[in-house]
Amino acid sequence: MDISLLAQFTVNGLMLGMMYALVAVGFTLFFGVLDIIVFSHGDVVMVGAFAALTGHYWLTGIYPDMSMWVELFFISCISIITVAAFGMIMAKTMILRLRSASPLNTLLATMMLGTVLREAVRLFFPGGSNPKPFPVLLPDISASFGDFTLRFDSVILFVLGALLIVSLHLLITKTKLGMAIRAVAQDEETARLMGVNFTLIVLITFAIGSAVAAFAGVMNGLYYNEINFGMGLLLGAIGFSAAIIGGLGNIYGAILGGFLFAGLQTLGAVAMPFASAYKDVFAFGVVILIMAWKPTGLIAEKTSERV
Amino acid sequence: MSTNTTNSLSGVLCSFAFAGVITALMTAIFIVESQLLIAGVLLGTIGAIVISSKFGVTSIILKSLGENENLSNALAVLVTLALIVIFYDDHYVLFILCTILLYSVTVLGLNIQLGYAGLINFSGAAFFGVGGYTAAVLSQYHSIPPILTLVIGGIIAAIVGSILLLPILRTSGHYSALVTLAFALLFKVFLDVNDSLGGAQGVDVGSFTLFGWDFGNDITIGSYDVSFYVPYVLASLVMLCVVFFFVRRIERSWIGLCLDSVRIDEVSSSCFGINIVRWKIVAFTIGNFVAGLSGALYASILGYISPANFSFGDSLMFLSILLLGGIGNLWGTIIATAIVVVLPEKFQVIQEYRLFIYSTLVLLMIVYRPVGLLPRKTRTYRPGESS
Amino acid sequence: MKTFNQKIAITCIAVAVMTFSLVAAPNFANAKDIVKVAFIGPLTGGVSANGIGGRNSAELAVKVRNEDPAAKYTYEFVGMDDECKPNVGVQVATKIASDKRIVGAVAHYCSAVALSAVKIYHRFGLPVIVWGAVHPDVTYGNKFNEIFRVNGTMINQNETAAKFMTSNGYKKFVIINDTTDYGKAHKEYFSKFIVENGGEIIESFGVTADQQDFTAELTKIKKLDPEVIYFGGLTPVGVRIRSQMNKLGINAQFEGTSGLKSDAYIEGLGDLSEGTLSFIEGAPLEKLPGGEFFSSEYTKVGYDQAAESYGPFAYAAMNLLLDTIEEKGPNRKAVVKALNAPAEYDSIIGKIDFDDHGQNTVAAISKYVVQDGKWVLWEDSEYASGKRSLKK
Repeated sequence: MDISLLAQFTVNGLMLGMMYALVAVGFTLFFGVLDIIVFSHGDVVMVGAFAALTGHYWLTGIYPDMSMWVELFFISCISIITVAAFGMIMAKTMILRLRSASPLNTLLATMMLGTVLREAVRLFFPGGSNPKPFPVLLPDISASFGDFTLRFDSVILFVLGALLIVSLHLLITKTKLGMAIRAVAQDEETARLMGVNFTLIVLITFAIGSAVAAFAGVMNGLYYNEINFGMGLLLGAIGFSAAIIGGLGNIYGAILGGFLFAGLQTLGAVAMPFASAYKDVFAFGVVILIMAWKPTGLIAEKTSERV
Repeated sequence: MSTNTTNSLSGVLCSFAFAGVITALMTAIFIVESQLLIAGVLLGTIGAIVISSKFGVTSIILKSLGENENLSNALAVLVTLALIVIFYDDHYVLFILCTILLYSVTVLGLNIQLGYAGLINFSGAAFFGVGGYTAAVLSQYHSIPPILTLVIGGIIAAIVGSILLLPILRTSGHYSALVTLAFALLFKVFLDVNDSLGGAQGVDVGSFTLFGWDFGNDITIGSYDVSFYVPYVLASLVMLCVVFFFVRRIERSWIGLCLDSVRIDEVSSSCFGINIVRWKIVAFTIGNFVAGLSGALYASILGYISPANFSFGDSLMFLSILLLGGIGNLWGTIIATAIVVVLPEKFQVIQEYRLFIYSTLVLLMIVYRPVGLLPRKTRTYRPGESS
Repeated sequence: MKTFNQKIAITCIAVAVMTFSLVAAPNFANAKDIVKVAFIGPLTGGVSANGIGGRNSAELAVKVRNEDPAAKYTYEFVGMDDECKPNVGVQVATKIASDKRIVGAVAHYCSAVALSAVKIYHRFGLPVIVWGAVHPDVTYGNKFNEIFRVNGTMINQNETAAKFMTSNGYKKFVIINDTTDYGKAHKEYFSKFIVENGGEIIESFGVTADQQDFTAELTKIKKLDPEVIYFGGLTPVGVRIRSQMNKLGINAQFEGTSGLKSDAYIEGLGDLSEGTLSFIEGAPLEKLPGGEFFSSEYTKVGYDQAAESYGPFAYAAMNLLLDTIEEKGPNRKAVVKALNAPAEYDSIIGKIDFDDHGQNTVAAISKYVVQDGKWVLWEDSEYASGKRSLKK
């Protein structure tokens, strides 16, 4: 295989990995504070993308000749704020209510919520059952090296994603809020005793996780220039897989898992030239093998079972 | 109100009356077509349940049913038979009945896994599908008797499931959920892209033949044209009865005790000398076998299967039935199956809003009644004894 | 006590009278018999835009007929959702076919569903006119008297497509197809006709219908450097592929099948859709006498979704079914018999003439190209006149 093709596959894989990682981070954050899986997270990404699109319609309606960068900034803000608010409402009305029930209930309830979101967008967003074009808001510049095309917008998106992850990391490890989140994640009761407002921290965590998902949605829209109501389904399943193979409750695990899964898919497509359709079979097969090898994920949770 | 003076005769009468009411209700639901009337019947039913539980009627009914278990089981069979007789020539209703009976069987299998041993299985539909595809392949060979097809379907499902045993035994909680979830997704994609089993298009499944009699033909008894689905419904009913009896026996035996103990506390179970690995393997394999068994019969009835029948969404549906009915409660399972199968069917007329309304209802149900319709009771060692 | 009983009796009578009047009133008001006709198409899922367009069009035919005072019956329209999934299709087909009050149906956009459902219609003797599915086997794969189809098959479509492409100087093709029978058959027929016409298929890729990311496949395709990328599949996947082609800088001509020609395709891509080709059976709507009428009626009812490219077929199929019922009475066997008799019908999609398999033989294939955000008939486009040119 020649080098330019390899470079192209690597870039594709990295972009995919960044998106998966951003989704997986949400899964792992929620698991951290409440020990639950919020399966609707993939569809929240979709809602984020559609919120941004609504923002685009609205803004271009008022200021038709707004500059690309300004619009990008504003629609990202609209999407992130709406979805973060949605995340808090979801946590307050549903997730916290379900805490006393079994984890399976939460899993199923959130899966159903995902379906409700998907169907709601399909039915009630104007023309929602069709794929929607997402506005081009990044300069259309690319550099070609033989068969390898490096697009400027991909680079920007990748850098933005990386920045987001780094700042999330700093937030969790360096700030007081982050300390509170970690305290709740480690031991709810002790955290309460130390004066941490548990409900507030949970709500904030959901706002943060959903905001990251909204960003992933906008990124998805800008990268593919097309969004549709069904895009969250597989994204959710993959984000969940990535969070788990990385090791739940660990942000690095989620990032590792995201890139690993993207790598597996790309590898599957490259390594089996005659049967690239099998790439998902390959990726999920390897996921099962990893689980057999490392039963608590690649970066294991630091917990000891209390007997 | 007196709680312990209900004599057995009034209990029996009460049970019969209740069975009559259920038959009438099911008949009404199947017959009614207009949306307004359906809504009326459904609201009426819910209202009746609410009012009757206010006045303690529900508890009397449940008590008289619980008092004489053999009778209530026999009554349930009678209700089904009555429905078959009422709808002897209505293909569609009979087909829905088959679906209810066979989905119940599958969920009973999942019940052994999740309800007793505590093993969550997100690929129930995949094992159901393995049974179905086995039936599709075997139906090309006419010499194989139907009963053998079903059993082979179950065995193959159990064998396929054994691939997952190692990761499942090593993992727990959400990690083990991922193993079955990944398998469910993998299975669907694999069927989609693999041409030898029909690909995304799906395959035909030949109908059963027994002593030269084709299950696919209509039957004429006297002057009545009986739908070809009737034998299938009867076969499904027999399968449900057998599996129900089997699962009940497991639950009430020392095996059930071992499984409960493994689910509730692994550490103390192993302290008592219970082999956790063995019981998990037993529960997982039996559950998959049962799912494969019903899948094989379902595919033969449908006459046509495709990967879309066995997607991750269908696995979710099986689990949501289990949850709605109340995990570990066999009757709850069957009632929930009836609701989950019939409700979206009756919603078919509202067309594109169907899935939206259905998932909203399930969501509300989980949030506001997390234990399900009929939660499993703590073990009672004599039937009818209140815990 | 007596008064109480009297009260009950009066209430009972009142309720009975009210119920009776509610049930009977519509019958008194309308002396015509009620006849049920059904429509099946994908109303949910990825291709629901086409399904809903077809549903609306078929419903429109029923509405127009019910407003016609000369009609002998009042028609009740039953719309059903097959979700574009074969298994759901089989269930819905059973439901429709076993409902004895339904006299006929207009069914199926997705070939995968149609193929699995036809034998059920045959078993129950329900006359069905297919309005969108293009796989040849829907009519030619069986000898069922009950199955008819107003639209052409993909054989005609691909023959025209292959001739057109090769005559325009294209030689190197790459095929992407979805893995249903629809996609696979498109790949098969297109390859066959391309080779016959002197072109070359370099490579083909199967993709699943819910795949989102195609960069891996497209990177390989870029390396192969074809002149044309042919896509055998439906709109949602087509939109994703075309948009990601652009991302990877692939400068090949994009060509779709009848499953691609929908307004949703243009809406989903915006300017990127410019120059995409598609081939579809039937003469163009606006050139036919009834076409204008259909379009204006459709807008008049105020449906919020477009009729899409197969809407007119659904309308024509339903109209044909209603005509036959008017003539022969609401009886399945009579309708099947009448439709099997050799005859030619006029419709908004042109002449309809069924062969012995129930296939409409009038197979005019129209070529379309996207120009300024519209599907324009090739002959009328600026591409044909040389003002603009396709990609080389």
